[in-house]
Amino acid sequence: MAAAGSPSATLRRRDLCSRGIRLAGKMRSDVVDLLDAYVEQQGLDASASVAAVEGVPAAAAERWDEQTGTQRLLENLAAYRAFRALLGQMLEEQQEQLGEADAALGRALAAVLLQVSAFAYHLEELLRLESRGPPSEEGAGPPPLPHLSLFERKLRGLGVLRELAQWAVRSARDLRQLAKPSPGSSLAPSPADSP
Amino acid sequence: DSHNQYERVGADVTMKCGSMDWDAAVTWTANGTDIDESHLNGSYLILKNVDLTQSGQYYCYESSSWHLKYQTYLRVGTPPKEPVLMCRSNNYPKGFYCSWHLPTPTYIPNSFNISVIHGTREMVCEKDVFPKNRCHVRYLQVFSTVKYKVTLTVTNALGKDSTTLTFDEFAIVKPDPPEGVVAKPVPNNPRRLEVSWQNPSSWPDPESFPLKFFLRYRPLILDQWQHVELSDGTSHTITDAYAGKEYIIQVAAKENDIGTWSDWSVAVHATPWTEEPKHLTTEAQLTETTSASTSSFMPPPTTKICDKGAVVGSGAVAVCWTAGLVLAAYGVLFI
Repeated sequence: MAAAGSPSATLRRRDLCSRGIRLAGKMRSDVVDLLDAYVEQQGLDASASVAAVEGVPAAAAERWDEQTGTQRLLENLAAYRAFRALLGQMLEEQQEQLGEADAALGRALAAVLLQVSAFAYHLEELLRLESRGPPSEEGAGPPPLPHLSLFERKLRGLGVLRELAQWAVRSARDLRQLAKPSPGSSLAPSPADSP
Repeated sequence: DSHNQYERVGADVTMKCGSMDWDAAVTWTANGTDIDESHLNGSYLILKNVDLTQSGQYYCYESSSWHLKYQTYLRVGTPPKEPVLMCRSNNYPKGFYCSWHLPTPTYIPNSFNISVIHGTREMVCEKDVFPKNRCHVRYLQVFSTVKYKVTLTVTNALGKDSTTLTFDEFAIVKPDPPEGVVAKPVPNNPRRLEVSWQNPSSWPDPESFPLKFFLRYRPLILDQWQHVELSDGTSHTITDAYAGKEYIIQVAAKENDIGTWSDWSVAVHATPWTEEPKHLTTEAQLTETTSASTSSFMPPPTTKICDKGAVVGSGAVAVCWTAGLVLAAYGVLFI
């Protein structure tokens, strides 16, 4: 086991995992509320199918239960960094709107953005414990938005929030896998990890 | 060579006796019984408005030689109606199963074909040996927002029909009910019951996908359930049970964020702890009390409506309805 080195590292890791799990749970709940508010405020159909949105990290994972701890952390971190930028963009667009309801939606977006940032921090810390360190963020911003109509932007926002809700569910379970005291939670691939 | 002939209920069926001419003299039998000539048109057998009872083995013989000229097994049935299909994941994140049945029987053999599409990908649904009308799919991806589309087609010799289900990955997650539910009285605690249970054995990874639970309980004599939701742990102590009453208790499970509640578990019964069984000696106790001629009167404990403290003194008017009659009777004795 690569990272389990010192007892304090193990404790710190466990602490970060359990706090991360709680944060992911709260984040999911808030994103679901935000989704409801967003759908209503933007006049969208909640059951509308949104095609995969470019630049939005998909939560879907192949062979999820076979992933190593490091893979989990790296994929999660890349996702939440992307969401941080995407939500930032959405917030900017939202702030251009006038009206009380829009302001309330803006506040809810900002609150979720804060949680996304906090979660990204947790992931960076967990990777630091790995002595691998988090990858740098150079050039990691979202692709420049093609010019979208207002409606297209709303649909894109729906896609972002839906995928984020899915990620929040996945992330809590990723951290639970990480917190397991078994070979599956080791942060470096080991021979015990058989497909 | 015999072959199967499938016809719809209510259809008119004409059977030719192989290559025999229309005016040949033939004898038809159905399930070993000669068929009356009134059903014949020349050598053709005419069956009008067939029903299920007319299914069976039909033979046609040349009358003079009794040579068998034609045989067929008639199977009367109906084309299939739209099948009923359901899909569920009780072992998330491993996979899900779909099961189906026909709303009405067709009386003839049916074959089923199922297709499972996830986005652009066709997935394999492996048929289960048992039960028969069921197959299971292994997830290739989890946490996907792309919907699944499952189409079931049922076909028989008389027709076909199909149905399609479209769903999100999370929507079909429903664990099996908790197992091993046990409820026990707590010694020296007349209002407590200790309940414990286990995760359903089909749930593959309760550590990563923890379940939360819903407990419901009520005394047998009441209809209203009490409910408790428990976000973790597989045990709970009921602290507000009615003393001496038998309870019925059930538990259900749900993944914390994903899917729906399981069905209720098998019901267990338990009665809270009671002191030395005073309540078993009803008549004897009553007799003892009256002969001792004390001024306080204890109504029989089987009187559910009253507290002990509600009835005082001989001759006093009791608040309690049921005990009041008894009290009045004894009151008369003591005045």
